[in-house]
Amino acid sequence: MSGALASVIEIQTKNSYLSAAELIVHRHAEVESPRIGLKRTNVEGSAAEQEELQHAYANLRSVLSTRRIERHTGRAIAEWHKDQQAAEVLRKDGKFESFGFNRQGKLYLEYYEALFLLELNRLQLEYCQMIVSVEQAYLLLLGEESSEKYNNYLVYSALSRAGYIVVRHQTACQDAPTISVKSAAAPSSEDCIWALLEETISNKPAPEYIKASHYYVTAQSRMADLKLQIVNQTHPSVEDNSLKEDFKFDTRKRRAQSEPKEDAATKRVKTRNTESLIDNLKTEPNYTKFKEIFERFDIVQLQQDDYDVTEDYSDLRNLNISFDLHLHNEGFRRSAPKAPTFSVVIVATDEPFPTHNEMIKCQRQQHSILSISSPTAGAPPLLVISVSESKQIQAFLYYMS
Amino acid sequence: MEFKAHFKRKRKSFYNFNKHAAFPICEYKGILNGLAVEVVNTEQASIASLHDNGGYGKGSMSRGGPISGNPHETLLLGLEEACLLAYFLEALEISDLAGNTLSWTGFLQVALEYDTQFVYKLAAYLYLKAKNWIIKSGIKFGGDFLIYKQGPSHFHASFLVIVQNPSNDNSSHFVAKNLKGVQRVAETSDKDVLLLNVKQTQEFNPLLVTRETLSALTIEETVIRRFNYTSFVQSKQKQ
Repeated sequence: MSGALASVIEIQTKNSYLSAAELIVHRHAEVESPRIGLKRTNVEGSAAEQEELQHAYANLRSVLSTRRIERHTGRAIAEWHKDQQAAEVLRKDGKFESFGFNRQGKLYLEYYEALFLLELNRLQLEYCQMIVSVEQAYLLLLGEESSEKYNNYLVYSALSRAGYIVVRHQTACQDAPTISVKSAAAPSSEDCIWALLEETISNKPAPEYIKASHYYVTAQSRMADLKLQIVNQTHPSVEDNSLKEDFKFDTRKRRAQSEPKEDAATKRVKTRNTESLIDNLKTEPNYTKFKEIFERFDIVQLQQDDYDVTEDYSDLRNLNISFDLHLHNEGFRRSAPKAPTFSVVIVATDEPFPTHNEMIKCQRQQHSILSISSPTAGAPPLLVISVSESKQIQAFLYYMS
Repeated sequence: MEFKAHFKRKRKSFYNFNKHAAFPICEYKGILNGLAVEVVNTEQASIASLHDNGGYGKGSMSRGGPISGNPHETLLLGLEEACLLAYFLEALEISDLAGNTLSWTGFLQVALEYDTQFVYKLAAYLYLKAKNWIIKSGIKFGGDFLIYKQGPSHFHASFLVIVQNPSNDNSSHFVAKNLKGVQRVAETSDKDVLLLNVKQTQEFNPLLVTRETLSALTIEETVIRRFNYTSFVQSKQKQ
């Protein structure tokens, strides 16, 4: 196309613009690959098959090459940092409540979060000042070698689409440092109040760096005063501004803290179950009538779990908990996550499923970690998710005696 | 996530279950033919009554109980149930093909020749039977036992039981393909797969076991259920 044909080109470009009506039609075009008939597994090599294949390819091409319309600047922008294996969010778009983590005041996305948002067309990922394509992102974020990252991403994506908030599994030990990093610079008056509340409500001692702050003592005495006022139902004649603010803060926090406590208590009952699962028929009239005879051969008993028995637990596999699942309507907050609904263990295709003892071991480890930080909390149930050869995802729940 | 077993009643539950006993009401004689214990029908001891009172055995010419009406029909008892009837309930006398009465050790020897895992399966059988389940062979669903509330004519089986024991390779069930396969078969007919893991003490010897030393065996139960995470989250959102 040389200069002589420039006018022709101009007309073509003009034609390639879509009208407003077309834009709207194209914007939410749902595309599904056609599925007709049974799955065929053998190549016949016939002419009819050739033709059908060509037709299918042409169809696929036309589907893939349709225009994709989206709002200008309707995506968040993030930059991939290879050394940190995380994407720094440069511009937010939409709600980011359940995504990412804070590091030194910046919001970062994990590789699976970045890839998920990229696939949903909610994120523009950049690397070395270049926009990354979806295909490139797969290589860049998941790595060229096979690893558990792909499985993690698949599970993350499937569960997020199903409607869960999926976050990296948090052990209590990991929890503490993230808080301290956030506020290590200089604990503010707010931090002191939060720490004090945690101390009074969940018996969690306030960290040293908070106690060292000059706000700590004033906040403490002020809270004591307020408590007295509430107990005695007296009202101070003069209320200064800062006191008011702190008071508001107080009530809000208290509500948020009390909820997970109840949750955890009910959950703990579920996870510890040393009874048989199949005792239901012992209430039947037939059993009560012949009880004596039944007891005559009641020789083999249920294995009683002994906490002291340190059996051969050491050679059991260590199950790796990858994610925690939260529900949307339970008021999830990234900064202060409550007890999750489930913890996810991913089983790869070639891995065997966890056995009874491996599950018990994993649960106990969780219990022991939890009981250090907050003795009232129970471990959430473990959801075992298996990724099959065809990359399908199935979840399994274990019920154990 | 409280566990609740499935109990699905059959549509034509035609006779009253509660008029039957859980255990045989008279004594029987059976012949161990190497695979099963065969009981012949007599005037005094009808095999139909043995089947009805406790759900033992299978008619040799019928799908379930001996209902063909053929006078030559016999009742075939599995090794575990024959063992329970003979040596724990003393309602059955087992003899070999030559006609000699078999003692516990004699029976055990033959049973172990047929099935090296017999002792563990017997332990599982007793464990389930003591909990008032009706136990049938689970071969048609790819497991060891099928267990029923009240019996196959009243309820669908609630569990497909798989017995795992310390001596054989008990990890084979946990291979993803096997577990999902069994799970799927069981699930289509509203059953759960119940894994009974039999544990033994160090000094336990399955070859020299007596009725008393069986108590050295203990059992762990595991039920793995497929979990529909999509419908779970949706049901939670509706609340």
